[in-house]
Amino acid sequence: MKRRSKGLVVALILLLTIPAVWATGTKEAAATESNVIKVFGNFRGEEAARFDEVVKIFNEKTGYNVVYEGSPEFETQILIQAEAGTPPDIAALPQPGLMKNFAEKGYLKPLAQSVLDGINSNYAPVWRELGSYDGTTYGVFHRVSAKSYVWYPKKAFEAKGYKVPTTWDELKALEQQIIADGGTPWSIGFEAGNATGWVGTDWIEDLMLRTAGPEVYDKWVNHEIPFDDPAVQKAFSYFGEIIQDPKEVYGGATNILTTSYGDAIKPLFENPPAAYLHRQANFITTFMPEDIQANLADEVGVFALPAIDEQWGVPMLGAGDQYVAFSDKPGVMEFLQFLTTWESCVPLAKAGGALFPHLDQNLADYGNPIEQQMAKMLMEAKVFRFDGSDLMPAEVGAGSFWTGMVDYVSGRDVKTVLSTIEQSWPQ
Amino acid sequence: MKLTAKTAKHNKLILVLLIFLCIVWSIPTVGMLVTSFRDKDAVSSSGWWQAYKTPSAFTLANYDEVLGGQHFTVGTASGSTESRRGVSMASAFISSITVTVPAVIIPILVAAAAAYAFAWMSFWGRKLFFATVIALLVVPLQIALIPILRDYQSIGLNGTYLGIWFAHSGFGLSLAIYILFNYISTIPRSILESAFIDGANHFTVFSRLILPLSIPALASFAIFQFIWVWNDLLVALVFLSGSGQKMDVVTVRLMNMAGTRGTEWHLLTAGAFISMILPLIVFLSLQKYFVRGLLAGSVKG
Repeated sequence: MKRRSKGLVVALILLLTIPAVWATGTKEAAATESNVIKVFGNFRGEEAARFDEVVKIFNEKTGYNVVYEGSPEFETQILIQAEAGTPPDIAALPQPGLMKNFAEKGYLKPLAQSVLDGINSNYAPVWRELGSYDGTTYGVFHRVSAKSYVWYPKKAFEAKGYKVPTTWDELKALEQQIIADGGTPWSIGFEAGNATGWVGTDWIEDLMLRTAGPEVYDKWVNHEIPFDDPAVQKAFSYFGEIIQDPKEVYGGATNILTTSYGDAIKPLFENPPAAYLHRQANFITTFMPEDIQANLADEVGVFALPAIDEQWGVPMLGAGDQYVAFSDKPGVMEFLQFLTTWESCVPLAKAGGALFPHLDQNLADYGNPIEQQMAKMLMEAKVFRFDGSDLMPAEVGAGSFWTGMVDYVSGRDVKTVLSTIEQSWPQ
Repeated sequence: MKLTAKTAKHNKLILVLLIFLCIVWSIPTVGMLVTSFRDKDAVSSSGWWQAYKTPSAFTLANYDEVLGGQHFTVGTASGSTESRRGVSMASAFISSITVTVPAVIIPILVAAAAAYAFAWMSFWGRKLFFATVIALLVVPLQIALIPILRDYQSIGLNGTYLGIWFAHSGFGLSLAIYILFNYISTIPRSILESAFIDGANHFTVFSRLILPLSIPALASFAIFQFIWVWNDLLVALVFLSGSGQKMDVVTVRLMNMAGTRGTEWHLLTAGAFISMILPLIVFLSLQKYFVRGLLAGSVKG
């Protein structure tokens, strides 16, 4: 008898709690469903908290309820959601290819005229092109990153009397000077789990822009010239000069392949520095040791990777998320239009780790002098190109190009590497 | 005499071997525990086995950030920076419990009833249905995600707890039915027959005889399912996203805490220990059934 009543109580509790919990779950969903504008992206943690401040300004101004959510599996999820017909209202797509894919299938809403006006007046034309497919513009860029930066440990660098190079020859001379002083010029790290090698692709893209120029770069990215074209070989030879000389790179080839891209900045801040130069995008500041980050302006120096052929100025390589609309709910286009204004960038610029393409930007709004300097270099660049490996088909841009860079650093000759990549290009 | 000495020696050897294996298997966990108490720069500059060299690097900060919310510096509309605390683990814990408990109970109840029917009731198509259920064991859940999401969208179950309970229950059911069938079908027929002679119907037999008798099998499946659902990332991401951060389960919250590029990965070790607590409690409290349950259905003859 006692046993039976015990069982009964358990069953009763279960019966009562299940619907109760369910009710709270659905109520929450139902209450927010009606007026929420969902924004979905891949940035999380602190970056998401910073973006929330941007959203807050918009919500307070307009009364809409925009909610941002980030996911570690964004690229997979957005595909599933789009296919299943449950996409967010707005998504921040990291690759232009993803936008084109969705636009081709008709999932995306073209931008309203108000947004286009914002883009036309506040962005360089290259950004509108990157957000367009087949003559229609779908994407708005907001926070971007630029990659053509070389970092150095300011105090040690200046103590040795080194000068920031403005031409490729000066850079080469600086490398020789560092070697002559018993130091090592470069620290390079390729390791990134199953994405190992992407750091190398950025190097090659930067060198392509500097040796072959933007037009050939575009042809290369679109496969209008083969991957093993002499122009690409030339870019590789410039990279080879650095990585094939054990004196040039801290730890030599083995270290390049086994050092994680985030750790490769750390040798610069050892005492004395184990290396003096590191080429990486603006986000690398978040990987610097905490005491360096706390004192960025005094500890760190940055310059743009110098031009090789002066006719294109100092080109900038970069990337960024583009915001696209999956729905035409009221408020969606207003939010995208808001992203084209400098007002929506100020909180992120202030907090650091972000650059913007907006033409009306106020450099004083950036949180520290280093970022002001980087933003200035980005704005002054005559040539800006999107990260080529993100534009190439995934088989190459997220596959054979990465592994090819690893093979090249391990010592395989450039012709074999390039023809292997060329063969992997989908027909 | 000679024989026993030999066995004793043997036993000692096995004991030493077992202790050795236990130590080897625990090393990663010990490493994680040590790492979870070290500060960020120490974690990335030296291994946990060198932790004794930098005693000043020991800190509770990781646990503080995981439990109380991360420290963020954000810019504000007025153009200043402020520090904020991010969401803490506590709400994710509650969310995870809300997802996991029904997602364990529902399939157990359904599967026990189904297993009873497959084992002891005769109805048309029994073998065919059973074969279908077993065939579903080999279907990977990933291929079902898009169709289910589409259906959920049309009936409004997307992003609700009810939806994810059904999803987890569905994905867990075929294994549950299989395990419980093998166990329940080994219960001696004589017990059931005597119950039927005493006038019991199928429901009474099921609730008063079968359920109490199959507790070891139920408990071992409960452990499997609990750990699977608790550690699940994919299903939670697919069926619970779109609600801001309100319904994040522990695994999702932890991944998000690591940041976009995983720069905050030192928090993962502390987070892992916190998220481990509940599965450990469940395992230890059901463990006495588990060993018996592992053999469930294995001696069907």
